[in-house]
Amino acid sequence: MRELSLNVMDIAQNSISAGAKLIVIDLCENSDADSLTITVADNGAGMTAEQTALAADPFFTTRKTRRVGLGVPLFKMEAEMTGGGLEITSEKGVGTTVKAKFVPSHVDMIPLGDINSTVLLLITCNEDRDFVFHRRMDLHEFTLDTRELRAVLGDEVKLSSPEVTEWIKGYLTEQTQRIKEESSDEVFRGTSGDKG
Amino acid sequence: MMTVKELAERLELKILAGEASLDRPVSGGYTGDLLSWVMARLPADAAWLTVMGNINAIAVASLKDAACIVLTDSAPLDDAALEKAQELSFPVLLSEQDSFTLGARMDGLLR
Repeated sequence: MRELSLNVMDIAQNSISAGAKLIVIDLCENSDADSLTITVADNGAGMTAEQTALAADPFFTTRKTRRVGLGVPLFKMEAEMTGGGLEITSEKGVGTTVKAKFVPSHVDMIPLGDINSTVLLLITCNEDRDFVFHRRMDLHEFTLDTRELRAVLGDEVKLSSPEVTEWIKGYLTEQTQRIKEESSDEVFRGTSGDKG
Repeated sequence: MMTVKELAERLELKILAGEASLDRPVSGGYTGDLLSWVMARLPADAAWLTVMGNINAIAVASLKDAACIVLTDSAPLDDAALEKAQELSFPVLLSEQDSFTLGARMDGLLR
């Protein structure tokens, strides 16, 4: 897809369709290793070993409406095009984890895109599920856990209410900015140290 | 209307798969390599010019009911894609020319 965040949206939709109550989205960037790992883990219905083996086949789908499913196959292809790969682990009745590894410096790397908007949309459109979003850039990280938000806000307040949505949006923007700055500061210090 | 077979003859395309479906009519063309993008835009009965010779491309083309895939720039068709195209009897053709050059020629033929 044009942006990896759209793939994340698509994979998370699979989790929702599988009845997951908790969906964990994890982005881990390691600049020394030149890697970006995107993981979507859920506690949904899970798949049998046979289904798991076929999940990256575009002609395999559990849907009855059409005979082709391209979400996982495209995500896998995009990862492989950069020299990375995708693996799925799943257990019936336990859940499914999709883990894609990318090599960001590769010329065929697809931009991450607006992952924060993806996460915000998933949270606000699925009030009946919980989401954990964890993002790490080298040594710096942040987490957003809707279970923690609910514990603070109580049962009365919806996460999709304008005030909460606005807060989540602000939090994601600020935290992303912070870890980006802290990570690039380290790179800068590293290079100036070499010169000194 | 031109068929896949006629198109293949006129543009000197090599037939890699789908020999049984070459009588399909071709009503137009589309060019693109980003599969999700193509999936949203590929018209039915079009000849799709691309360098993506993998099973996902076969899935996109059959989902959108394209007339055929034309691999340009001598792009390879991998084994899984070839097998699936044969199974579906979906025409996959091959050209040495790039998508721009072949597309321009095809446009002249289909008009």
